[in-house]
Amino acid sequence: MPAKRVIPCLDVKQGRVVKGVQFKGLRDIGHPVELARRYDAESADELVFLDISASLEARGTRESWVRDVAHELSIPFTVGGGVSKVEDARSLLRAGADKVAVNSAASLRPALVTELADAFGRQCVVAAVDVKRDPELGWRVYLKGGTEPTARSAKDWLWELNELGAGEILLTSMDRDGTGDGFDLPLLDWASELPIPLIASGGAGREVHFLEALEHGADAVLAATLFHENLLPIPRLKAYLAEHDLSIRI
Amino acid sequence: MSPAPTITLIDYDAGNLASLEGALDRLGLVHRRAATPEQAAEAGPIVLPGVGHFDAAQRSLAERGWWRALPELVAEGRPLLGICLGLQLLAEGSEEAPRAAGLGLIPGIVRRLGPGVKVPHMGWSQVRQHMAHPALPDPKGAWLYFVHSYALEPSTESVYLADHGRPFAAIEARGMVMGFQPHPEKSGRPGLLLLQSALTWMGARTPVPEEPCN
Repeated sequence: MPAKRVIPCLDVKQGRVVKGVQFKGLRDIGHPVELARRYDAESADELVFLDISASLEARGTRESWVRDVAHELSIPFTVGGGVSKVEDARSLLRAGADKVAVNSAASLRPALVTELADAFGRQCVVAAVDVKRDPELGWRVYLKGGTEPTARSAKDWLWELNELGAGEILLTSMDRDGTGDGFDLPLLDWASELPIPLIASGGAGREVHFLEALEHGADAVLAATLFHENLLPIPRLKAYLAEHDLSIRI
Repeated sequence: MSPAPTITLIDYDAGNLASLEGALDRLGLVHRRAATPEQAAEAGPIVLPGVGHFDAAQRSLAERGWWRALPELVAEGRPLLGICLGLQLLAEGSEEAPRAAGLGLIPGIVRRLGPGVKVPHMGWSQVRQHMAHPALPDPKGAWLYFVHSYALEPSTESVYLADHGRPFAAIEARGMVMGFQPHPEKSGRPGLLLLQSALTWMGARTPVPEEPCN
């Protein structure tokens, strides 16, 4: 079994890492390369960059910072945001990303996942899925950052993504995201039965939450604010997880 | 005067060259990309990176003339380092492409990982020394980054082994031909040191500043 992974997630807009501030929009917290270096030094196991630039033009700058990050970083990184065809992914992988994340585009056109897996191998394809608890479906898949419900049951969709060729699932509980109350553990219980690695996201607030998520079958844990604000330094978190007998790269 | 040893990176649309170049820059090692054997440096190690499918990579290397050239270059004593799929292509064959042969520069067959474990094997795993090698120290449980669904069966001469459901060859070497299953360019500091040790042993050098002439 490989080590359990700790993954900071960075939102990028027009080539800058940004952080959402309640009611105040976005705050610039640095260049992707600066943060990449910092997290590399702090022993993050991997990074995920989600490009939230709205326009295609703004995404044009993406290749350049992806190339810079690839040149500086000595750990793997995933880039997502607006990947809707094979050529989008090719330009990111060529620039040096290790994996691409797809979300809405895969839900709208599931064949995309297979096309990406055929073109680059499934290890390059991360399927990001946002879900909320639902009285009818158990957990329902949402698009557009949890604002747009789909008709899909999360359980069916995750298994379908596996069949389609996803190499990894990045599963975000929109109910827990931003709460700091801990991950949605019953969600992880069934999702970790998938034969592909599972990254748990949404709800981390304290060290014990990460431990719980990993004990409930997640292969990796992802968080943003906690790490960006240094509320929970990654070396401290990893030491804590290792003390609890998890396989952790120290 | 012999030409300065420059690392040749085979550029065939199946490798993450950007990260590898970044790692070599940080190590201060001189390198260049070569799409065809004609573009290779005159001396110095050749690096065969690789991600994706075995047969697609094999075809791509054949189209560019590398498939025929590599065994000849190795026969002339040229050092060759395969990384990830690059290692697998050096072997005799792979279950991923039963009809395509490998380069056969390293004995052994590449087999699918599993069952009973998640595939691809993606993430950080510890490696251990199996056979001592002049260039590569005992890793003492170092963590390296892996992304693969197939792996070379261990041999009595495997340098490092790793486990995913079963043991497999993490580093295999025959003379000046070496293969890394993990991505040293993605494995933090231990990976960089490993890359440096292997390539320096293969003849790569950091540029020496010119002496003032007095």
